[in-house]
Amino acid sequence: MSLIHLENLSKQFKILNRREGLSGAFRDLFSGDYRTVEAVAGVSFDIEAGEIVGYIGPNGAGKSTTIKMMTGILKPSGGTLLVNGLAPYDNRIRQAQIMGVVFGQRTQLWWDLPVIESFKILKEIYKVDQKMFDRHMDMFNELVGLKSLHSQQVRTLSLGQRMLCDITASFLHNPQVVFLDEPTIGLDISVKAKIRSVIKELNREHNTTIILTTHDLGDVEALCQRIIIIDKGRILYDGDIKRVNALFGAYRTLKLQINNFSETILQTLKSKLIECFGAEHGITIAENEEFWTDVTIDQARTPLSDVLSFVMNNFPVIDVRIVEISMENVVRKVYDGALK
Amino acid sequence: MHSLKDYLRLYFMIETQYIKARMQYRADFIISSIGMFFSSLATLGIFWIIFHSIPDLAGWSFMQLLFIYGFYMIAISPMQILFDHIWQIRFHVQQGTFLKYYFRPLNMMFYYMSEMFDIKGLTQLAAGIVILIYASIQLDISWTLARIALLLLTLFSASLVQISITLLAGCAAFWVLDSYPVLGLAWKLREFAPYPMNIFDGAFRFTFTFIIPLGFVAFYPSQLFIQPEEVSAWVYLSPLVGIGLFALTYWVWTKGVNSYTGTGS
Amino acid sequence: MRAYFAMMRGAYMIGLVYRFGFLFNIAGNLIYMSVTYFLWRSIYQNRETLRGLTFNETYIYVALGSAVFILLKTYVDWQMSFDIREGNIATYLSKPVDLQLYELFTSLGFFLMSLSAITIPTIFLLIFVFRIEVPLGIGLAIFPFSLILAYLLSFCFDYFIGLLGFYTESVWGLSITKEIIITVLSGALIPLQFFPDAIQKILLWLPFQAIYYTPLTMVAQPDLGWGTFLPMLGVQLFWVIALFALTRLFYTQAVKVLRISGG
Repeated sequence: MSLIHLENLSKQFKILNRREGLSGAFRDLFSGDYRTVEAVAGVSFDIEAGEIVGYIGPNGAGKSTTIKMMTGILKPSGGTLLVNGLAPYDNRIRQAQIMGVVFGQRTQLWWDLPVIESFKILKEIYKVDQKMFDRHMDMFNELVGLKSLHSQQVRTLSLGQRMLCDITASFLHNPQVVFLDEPTIGLDISVKAKIRSVIKELNREHNTTIILTTHDLGDVEALCQRIIIIDKGRILYDGDIKRVNALFGAYRTLKLQINNFSETILQTLKSKLIECFGAEHGITIAENEEFWTDVTIDQARTPLSDVLSFVMNNFPVIDVRIVEISMENVVRKVYDGALK
Repeated sequence: MHSLKDYLRLYFMIETQYIKARMQYRADFIISSIGMFFSSLATLGIFWIIFHSIPDLAGWSFMQLLFIYGFYMIAISPMQILFDHIWQIRFHVQQGTFLKYYFRPLNMMFYYMSEMFDIKGLTQLAAGIVILIYASIQLDISWTLARIALLLLTLFSASLVQISITLLAGCAAFWVLDSYPVLGLAWKLREFAPYPMNIFDGAFRFTFTFIIPLGFVAFYPSQLFIQPEEVSAWVYLSPLVGIGLFALTYWVWTKGVNSYTGTGS
Repeated sequence: MRAYFAMMRGAYMIGLVYRFGFLFNIAGNLIYMSVTYFLWRSIYQNRETLRGLTFNETYIYVALGSAVFILLKTYVDWQMSFDIREGNIATYLSKPVDLQLYELFTSLGFFLMSLSAITIPTIFLLIFVFRIEVPLGIGLAIFPFSLILAYLLSFCFDYFIGLLGFYTESVWGLSITKEIIITVLSGALIPLQFFPDAIQKILLWLPFQAIYYTPLTMVAQPDLGWGTFLPMLGVQLFWVIALFALTRLFYTQAVKVLRISGG
């Protein structure tokens, strides 16, 4: 029996069709006018002990909903969900004992207290015996220099320090599975690297399963052996990261800001690029965020520099940015069958 | 998962830490304590000034009213001390930070409660105790062991009534977007509580006895001590009101917590 | 109790008023008015007058008292303390701005908001919900003027505390003390007639009663006539002028300290 077992899991929400204005708000209180939204529509996968799985998808994909069901916050609408053999929602307190959760932006430590006190409290809450507590605290100190932060109040820590404290704290009671949600968000490169190595080490120490939700593909590349992509409530891809890695590596997105941009220019851009570079599916063009156009290029097929110089020579480009492929684009690619 | 003993020990541990941390903000502590102290003093002053000119209020003597007031102050203190952060619940619920309470192997209300210990509430408690003792001496109340036990029981359940009313209003945050007014109003309602029920009209009296039982925060339980011979038997049931109301509140809280899904998908 | 509100930190008060919005304040005031209504009606059960006042007169005084209490809070002391700590005072001083007038006018914002959000609804509640007969008398006409003078007086006290902030880092202790003194000695909570006679005599000589007792008496007992009200107004005016003069004098001293210590 795998540690985490999802079979045809689904979740529907009833969303109130909110009406306008004050009288509308009043009537909302009594109305039964709902629409049903299917956040998760038949998701299945199994996760074994020790795996580090990247669980990614665009916003609104059903990612958080699945995680909330796995952590016992939400009750599934249908299907099977077992963590360590038990249904999380019906056994919240029991499951909490074997789980660790870290939310990127919000700490789970006690804000006004010194760091060490939070750990001591957690020791009591999770009934960690003294030996394991000492061993872990030593390990944490080796990994992140926790001792130097002991007497500082959590509220005074920098984001990076707080993140490291939250992550180590989530491993204190030797959980079987840890959910990390956006652990490196808002941090600079060196801190990100540090956090990634800490996570790796913690996973190695007790063979802890880790489920990582993130928008940062660097996290995924550094940590995960397996990746699950979800979009619109369904699993798009579940497998080895190497295949997706190849996809990431090759693609770049060229963000352009063109003067006097309009629908006609977009069409002209599209047709000219196809005309010039041939392969239609090597390059995809989309309009994104007020006046920026995304041109996604498969570098394996077409060198970025060629496209760039072409565009700059033929269109009044004001500004240019080159970024690695975004999550939305990865998903779109997978959706278009790029991984098949 | 955790026994009652575990919870008590845990609670004690967390709160001592909190008090330690709060003590560092001495200025804040002192201002608010002084503030509370003087406000109680002012109310007492008003009472005294009024009574300076009248023999009684609706049949109640100054000392009797003082007893009720002291009882009231003690009864509202636990709410202040333990749940002063209920004012922020709407913020946490809407920001999604409320989710953190789900992830520990702890009863959620306990966890929520453990994160607050309002020291200035202790000033109010102390003032209430002093007033109660003073009034009971003046009223010549004979304190047997049984009587004291009854006092503690009624104080406990009276505080539950106050906590329940406010907490119930706070639970509105789980369902309603702008829940502040509900909470604010529920909290202000306590202004009715330190007065004898017979100064209110029938409709109010009915409401404060059966619907929003503010009468059980101070007045009815106090009867057992300041007028034990004239009290009807059912007043002895007052402890049940607090316990029953809290059970209802806990039920609503559970419902709210289960229906909350955080923000985002 | 209004007294409780008065004792809390000003910032918290502002937050409270803003936080809960219009409806809450009306409902909250309704609660206070109900509680005091029952209380005083009970007190007056077997008597027509108490300490020379009828139920009507006392109740109008107390009910409107709470609204007026909020109205006359200027928060200038807290505002100035904040500005001093943030270093804004230096900016004001470098401009051709009279600090006292500046603080006065910025505080008027609260006054107007309070007037519409709390005072006027309270009057409505008083007349239409509680059905209290407000006798028509000359006092009602003079009341607005008296209210303005009262506000100016309240402002002077707050401004004075604010100026003390030039000398000391934090004025919270002084501010609270001022609150207590004014609240208790001014008849903000109950009419001065209820105080023991000896104390009453003393209180009438102090400036504090000019803030609350005077305007509230005008609206509670409007037909006391010009003979009573004119002197009261006079006293108010006297105190306003005196305190304005004193605070302006104090300002010239205080500002020297600020310049020395760097602001």
